[in-house]
Amino acid sequence: MGSTGTLLTFKPRPSHGRICLVAISFLTLPLTIVPAIQSAEQIPLLMLVVIVGLGVAIIISGLALALWFPTMRYELDDQTLTLHYGPVLSYRIVLSTIRRIRRRNLSLSIWSSIRFPGIALFTVPCSNVGNLIMCATAAANGVLLIETDHATYGLTPTDEEEFIAAIKARLKR
Amino acid sequence: MAVVTLIASAVTWGGMVYLLSGRLKCYLWLLLPGVPFSLVVNAGIKTSLAILVGQIANILPHQGLRTPGWFVLFLFMLSPVLEEGMKVVPLLLPRAWRLLIKPAAALWVGIMLGVGFGLGEAAYIAYSVAQLPEYSRLPWYAFTGYAGERWITFFMHGVMTAVFVIGLQRTKLAALAGYFGATGLHALVNAGPMLARVGIIPTWATSVCVVGAFTLTAYIFERLRHQAARGAGISEAAGEILYFERRTK
Repeated sequence: MGSTGTLLTFKPRPSHGRICLVAISFLTLPLTIVPAIQSAEQIPLLMLVVIVGLGVAIIISGLALALWFPTMRYELDDQTLTLHYGPVLSYRIVLSTIRRIRRRNLSLSIWSSIRFPGIALFTVPCSNVGNLIMCATAAANGVLLIETDHATYGLTPTDEEEFIAAIKARLKR
Repeated sequence: MAVVTLIASAVTWGGMVYLLSGRLKCYLWLLLPGVPFSLVVNAGIKTSLAILVGQIANILPHQGLRTPGWFVLFLFMLSPVLEEGMKVVPLLLPRAWRLLIKPAAALWVGIMLGVGFGLGEAAYIAYSVAQLPEYSRLPWYAFTGYAGERWITFFMHGVMTAVFVIGLQRTKLAALAGYFGATGLHALVNAGPMLARVGIIPTWATSVCVVGAFTLTAYIFERLRHQAARGAGISEAAGEILYFERRTK
């Protein structure tokens, strides 16, 4: 945890999410792009372009997310909690709108968007909890849920007790 | 490539069952018994039966759209009917059948038996392709399409078997419904390749069909998983810690 004035910065729990993102990116090559190119003469050009384009997009996105993995952090000031992940994710939670904070295990679902072992980002559907806005280094186990008037956020601060204490202190003011 | 595919797929789908079942190791061994049964069906029964019926009916091979419709239907249903029945044979093992005592177990038992059957099928396909001169000369990395297609197929085999095993765990009527459900799902999955084989759709369209079938089986799997969790009384809120709750006025 770091502090600058009244701004506290909390790092997420360590995980192997970065490795997972890299692995998925590289697996896209032999599973989609290479077979499509090998069958290029037999499939319509449009389909080839779509498959290769999607594959390239997945590879670039996965590697970019892996590159930004160390930038995940939770910044807490007197009024707001902001979840950051590289330049692509910045969720701002106004502390006064928080209704509930709880820690629980989530159910895994194969429909989840960016939700792999060690990393969960963006909006993720979760049964019995609804849609979660995630910025976490865990897909299911021990996720801290912050429910506000508008949405539910999932995060995984490494110093969870200090994080909760800091939020509670600001909520009491 | 076949070895890499088999190992990677066994780890992936076995790992999925391990994680989603609550980190239970008791289902993992079920990958093994399905392998020889797959070889029996693919290398022995299916081919022999198709040839026998074709000879009796005096039907020549490779006729495409000129093949009699009933024979096409017979060939089409051969895999679903025989394979779905063969996949659950390992349940005759007392150790396997005892696993079904737990309410939520049928889903995981079915998945693992189906994936195991798929492993045997993939090995058989790899061996068959390796015997063909035009393919045996190709380098291993030319078969990435095989790897991707098989990886998806393992999961679909698992879901089909799970549909049957869930029925077997309940009543006789449910078992029959489960068998027909699994067979129907299997036929649906095979529809694309069969249509391409008789020349109704182009070969490349089978990939689109496979993706569609995978999406459908994934949806069915999620529904079965939630039913299994509800049936076992598993609450996702177990172990929840409440840190803060705003009192409403």
